[in-house]
Amino acid sequence: MAKRLSERRRERGTSSSAGRERRSKRAQRAHHSAAVGRRNPALTWGLRFLVVGYLLMLVLWPSWYVVQHTFADGLTGIQTALQDPDVQHALLLTAEVSVLAVAINLVFGVGVSLLLVRYDFPGRRVLSALIDLPLSVSPVVVGLALVLVYNGRYGWFGPWLEDNGIQIIFSWPGMVMATCFVALPLIIREVVPVLEEIGDDQEQAARSLGASGWQTFWRITVPGIRWAIVYGVVLSLARSLGEFGAVKVVAGNVAGETQTATVLVQQKYQNFEQTTAYSVSFLLAFAAVLCLIVVALLRPKASKESR
Amino acid sequence: MIWFSLLVLIPLAAIIVKASGGGWHTYADTLSNSQTLDAIKLTVGTSLLVTALNMVMGTIIAWVLVRDRFPGKALLDLVIDIPFALPTIVAGLVLLSLYGADSPLGLHFANTRSAVFLAIAFVTLPFVVRTVQPVLEEMETDVEDAAASLGASRAVTFRRVVLPTLVPAIFAGASLSFARGISEYGSLVLLSGNLPHRTEVTSVRVMSYLEGGDTAAAASVATVLLVVALLAIVSLDIIARRVARRDGRNG
Amino acid sequence: MSIEVKNVNKRFGDFVALDDVSVSLPTGQLTALLGPSGGGKSTLLRIIAGLDSADSGSISIEGTEATHLPPQKRNIGFVFQHYAAFKHMSVAKNVAFGLEIRKKPKPEIERKVNELLDLVHLSQFANRLPAQLSGGQRQRMALARALAVEPTVLLLDEPFGALDAKVRKELRDWLRRLHDEVHVTTVFVTHDQEEALEVADEIVVINQGRVEQVGTPDQLYDAPANDFVMSFLGDVTTLGGELIRPHDIEVDVTPGEPGAIEGSVSRVLRIGFEVRLTVLTDVGEVVTVELTRTNARRLGIAEGSRVYLNAVLGATRV
Ligand SMILES: Nc1ncnc2c1ncn2[C@@H]1O[C@H](COP(=O)(O)OP(=O)(O)OP(=O)(O)O)[C@@H](O)[C@H]1O
Ligand SMILES: [Mg+2]
Repeated sequence: MAKRLSERRRERGTSSSAGRERRSKRAQRAHHSAAVGRRNPALTWGLRFLVVGYLLMLVLWPSWYVVQHTFADGLTGIQTALQDPDVQHALLLTAEVSVLAVAINLVFGVGVSLLLVRYDFPGRRVLSALIDLPLSVSPVVVGLALVLVYNGRYGWFGPWLEDNGIQIIFSWPGMVMATCFVALPLIIREVVPVLEEIGDDQEQAARSLGASGWQTFWRITVPGIRWAIVYGVVLSLARSLGEFGAVKVVAGNVAGETQTATVLVQQKYQNFEQTTAYSVSFLLAFAAVLCLIVVALLRPKASKESR
Repeated sequence: MIWFSLLVLIPLAAIIVKASGGGWHTYADTLSNSQTLDAIKLTVGTSLLVTALNMVMGTIIAWVLVRDRFPGKALLDLVIDIPFALPTIVAGLVLLSLYGADSPLGLHFANTRSAVFLAIAFVTLPFVVRTVQPVLEEMETDVEDAAASLGASRAVTFRRVVLPTLVPAIFAGASLSFARGISEYGSLVLLSGNLPHRTEVTSVRVMSYLEGGDTAAAASVATVLLVVALLAIVSLDIIARRVARRDGRNG
Repeated sequence: MSIEVKNVNKRFGDFVALDDVSVSLPTGQLTALLGPSGGGKSTLLRIIAGLDSADSGSISIEGTEATHLPPQKRNIGFVFQHYAAFKHMSVAKNVAFGLEIRKKPKPEIERKVNELLDLVHLSQFANRLPAQLSGGQRQRMALARALAVEPTVLLLDEPFGALDAKVRKELRDWLRRLHDEVHVTTVFVTHDQEEALEVADEIVVINQGRVEQVGTPDQLYDAPANDFVMSFLGDVTTLGGELIRPHDIEVDVTPGEPGAIEGSVSRVLRIGFEVRLTVLTDVGEVVTVELTRTNARRLGIAEGSRVYLNAVLGATRV
């Protein structure tokens, strides 16, 4: 049996009660902040104005324009776009690749989170730092990296895989891998803090009551982190649907075959099929914003529950 | 673990190996190419500028989101995440619609360096906000009240009491935003016009090397990007550790 | 013997948490593991439960060699200091957990859960979530949960540590009564000597990873094996270079018996019905003495009085 991390847990012994305190503080803030707001109206209004203005110019107004462009001629724009077989194929491909990538990241992400939080092993720190790496790597570089290794002609593993009938680059496995890569940390970053906060008391209790490791995982651990998993999945989904650079490099961009929705947007825009570009963009943005709204609606529910 | 290696570690190693394959002069050749050098300068320079802006604006936004209350605040909170969730290519398109050729504001940023700045500012918006926000939430207003009761003015309170607590988080967010800034690609493709020496960023440069079949050059530019990103991560980690130690001291 | 611990060693890095510990815990009894904080009590209990593993040594439970058994195979019940309630399950579900794992038939589970909730007086809360219970109720739920699987041994790690003094005392009495009812071999950890003396049949004193003494409360109190046990189980002071309990000292204002130690009262402190004197003896020892108020008044003791101190007959001294 691998050594449990009771030591680290004990250091953080109070972490869960600290968490509780934090949340109750957050609850108290309602009147605190009101008091702060009253202190200096000029400054408060100034800051408000600045923030709202900044966000309006940078995010809101431009986003609104995309909506306007899309619906400039009512629904016809979207309808025509959706009738284009390339568009249909690209959207479908994007959905398939994203779902597959999110599923893989889910399994991997939960596994790594458990590993990072519950077990001690040499290199834990390094792993936890490396996990964040994909967030800082340019998508183009991600694509390049995968091409260098899995390319069928000169990649490290590519020729061998090709001999065995597996094509990764310019095919869906590569696209899934690229998508997995860029969305990799999202689930882990959601799950790790929650696992740390709930501690392993409940898991140990389950073990002492006769539950096997597997039973403990499904009956105790998973219910404890289910909201974190849901956020992680939703965020990953948003990220996966929108991946562009990395997929563009590995996919080869063959319309109707390996062209995803984002790559299609670029192509259509450059071919001056603006309405189609805007329509597909709108659909992608709509999916992304929908994901955000889902997360925003779920979040208060989860923090209430873990209290 | 194997999956992680196959997916992340080995491919990244491959880049470095590929780039080093031709010895130092691959780097030397590539980096002495003035077009590439300009791209790197532009990317790093703009990212630094944007990061500086984010440190200020991000902190202010976080402050307003935590301490202020007004109708529609929840919506603003949501808006912050849009740049993160929006497909980057769509982000480019979004900005193009307001700041592009047929801009209703008369701001023709497309194909200029301002567009690069704008796009990077857009995609890196959430980072500082989202790292500072939880720290502010945890910080008790009592501390500020106490400082005020001791006669400190609002400005002094902010500078002496609030800011020091936020600094680690601001820097952590800044390094994330910097790393994201230098690696940005999707939003710039449509917006910046990719004019060599003027608005071409590093990622686009890597892409064009790649499309031209010069993987060695692509890999060496990628290595530069990776090294800079790695530096950002390391500094992030050091700061995170310092935060942890500070927490320990405060009990 | 129900639990047999032999030559168990446990280190955390360089730190020795358990140093060659051997104890036998008798079947059907309520045993307390008593000792100061950091002494290794929890570590020992967790090793018995299989939640930690010993570096060397062996554990057997009811004659079964258990050293390498995982916790789920040891048939133990474990109650954690912070309850470790399953937050997402109702009270009844919590209690039923171990039975469901064992794939018992539904009606049997239901019957057993009801029975146990009755036993711990939580029947009316069966459908609440743990978050809606008080600390004491949560701990009773944890106990019912541990008892549900009919464990061979019940292990409790400072079960009442997180509760306030009054609830703590209530639960302590209740645990004693419960044990008299169900008679399962029980080991509980505490660093509160009063709790141990009051509840346990037998006490194992652990300090710095070693067993200092094993015995009944009376044995420990009356015949402590060493200074540590003596001072850990109650107040002590020194008289004539020996440890003695302050209430085992007789005070006189006249030089009565030969060998009495002479000194003067430097401080008089009244605590309720009791008076505590600090006496500075002529040889320079500072002695604390406890006597009843009646006694103190009868002797007319005040600050500055000359007194003669003697150990009472049968006093515990080390
Ligand atoms: N996982 C661990 N890693 C390192 N040291 C540990 C670990 N667990 C316990 N220790 C150390 O071993 C010693 C004994 O710990 P243990 O928890 O058994 O003490 P205890 O007697 O239960 O104390 P308390 O009454 O405070 O609970 C302590 O000094 C503790 O710091
Ligand atoms: Mg303990």
